[in-house]
Amino acid sequence: MGNLEEIKSLFTQIGIPSQLFKTGGVNLLVDRNRVVVRYPAPGVRSEVEETETGVRTKIYVEPGTKLEKPVTLCFGAISSVEIQTTENEIVVGEGASVKFVVYGAMVENISLKHKNELKIRVKKGAHFEYLDFHHCGERTLVELETKTTAIVEESAYFRSLFKQNRGRTGNARITIEATALKNAVVELETKLIGKEDDKLYVKDVIKLEGENSRGLSKSRIVAMDRTKAEFIGETYGFAPYCRGHIDCSEVVRGEGVEVKAIPIVVVNHPTAKITHEASIGSIDKKQLETLMARGLSEEEAVEVIVKGLLR
Amino acid sequence: MTPILTFNNVSVFRDGKPILKNVNFIVNKGEIHAILGPNGAGKSTLANLVMGTNGFSSPDEGEIIFKDKLLNNLSISERAKLGITMAWQDPARFEGITVEDYLNLCSKGKKSPAEALKLVGLDENYLLRFLDDTLSGGGRKRIELACVLVCSPELAVLDEPDSGIDFPSMEDIARLIKILKENGSTVLMITHREEIAEIADRATLLCDGKVVQTGSPEEVGKKFKNMCVVCKVKNPELVGGK
Repeated sequence: MGNLEEIKSLFTQIGIPSQLFKTGGVNLLVDRNRVVVRYPAPGVRSEVEETETGVRTKIYVEPGTKLEKPVTLCFGAISSVEIQTTENEIVVGEGASVKFVVYGAMVENISLKHKNELKIRVKKGAHFEYLDFHHCGERTLVELETKTTAIVEESAYFRSLFKQNRGRTGNARITIEATALKNAVVELETKLIGKEDDKLYVKDVIKLEGENSRGLSKSRIVAMDRTKAEFIGETYGFAPYCRGHIDCSEVVRGEGVEVKAIPIVVVNHPTAKITHEASIGSIDKKQLETLMARGLSEEEAVEVIVKGLLR
Repeated sequence: MTPILTFNNVSVFRDGKPILKNVNFIVNKGEIHAILGPNGAGKSTLANLVMGTNGFSSPDEGEIIFKDKLLNNLSISERAKLGITMAWQDPARFEGITVEDYLNLCSKGKKSPAEALKLVGLDENYLLRFLDDTLSGGGRKRIELACVLVCSPELAVLDEPDSGIDFPSMEDIARLIKILKENGSTVLMITHREEIAEIADRATLLCDGKVVQTGSPEEVGKKFKNMCVVCKVKNPELVGGK
């Protein structure tokens, strides 16, 4: 087990912001199954339990709480372990407005399986953003399995973003299922890059169960080398005047790449409407040529385009 | 007059059909040179041949010389490093790249992106906008021209700089092209509108892949207006070409 200085040194090497290690910079910092930092956020109650393989948390945002500063959580590991599990439950009270910024930090040269189960309830009229950024080393071997279920109550808003910010993604299975009730809005977004032999699986399920609910599933996946990537976007329009859209774009660059996009759209109400768009292909030639005409090499142009896509 | 770009007997064929036929013309250093011609004359092919884009890295016959360097078979990046850049007729859109990022790619901090935007009639709020589908066609086009401006190229190839721009804004575009010239760039401007060609120092009329005439914009524009605009037959002999 490392001390905070060692954790800071290893985490910042993989791009975790150093501000997290200032007082109040992070509200919960976990190294495998050990709580290293816990710092309260106003209007937020939490129960944290260390388990044999990870942590179990319950976080309650009090009704009406409005926070300008995000609640920041960091779950990581500085040494190889067979498995790290995190079981989290978040309830955002009525009328609250909060953003959670969550970092997954798997430092260089370690291997582990990270299993995450997350249950979210966004209560009536609340506004909740859950931004999940993963940081790994280029030689980190990660097997990631994350399952999220969210219920978004009447007139509430929920946005989820999962993004690989740095290093190898490894084998990742990311599943998120969100149910939107009356007038609720759900936006699910995933941004991943696969390199070498990475395997990426993303499944977004949006159930529009409330009248006039809205849902967007957006994924941007860049598959390089021999990456295998699969995106499944399911949207169900079960209520009057609900609207949903699936927007999937996968860019391939490599001879051994295998990529799939499977949109599933189901509607059982005559006034519901769900649309989808999916594109899979190499980097747009015109984009490449435009940047090369500004003096960039082909490799530099690819980097700029990919960075933009995953921004 | 020092030639900066020379087309020597350039021909291009696609699927056995000629697109450019034995094209010869010279662009002099520091001038605005308009390539005027109707749709399908081969103007955009000519622009692509200069930049090496869209699969036109080399003509099938002839040579293209920039200063003393043969451009045939050079990559796009190599041409850009020689000092050539291009503004596309329908510029590419980019997700997640801001206007500021885009303008800085070329200027590398030497020229102010905000200043360049102002010159094309856009305020600095545009700097933070993304170069994606949320921009209007005209807005994207203006940003493309601003990008050429911050690049300070030796040769700027502008493919239909006026397309997608509403008529009252033509003055902005004309002013920008003149600024490019004042800043030391040579401009090769592709257009099918003689009123835009009027801002050039010289013009070349292209019809059905052949050069019909090179001369003052007035002479060339007159010929274009009188003959090309009404010409329904793809036959340059009708307009006095070779």
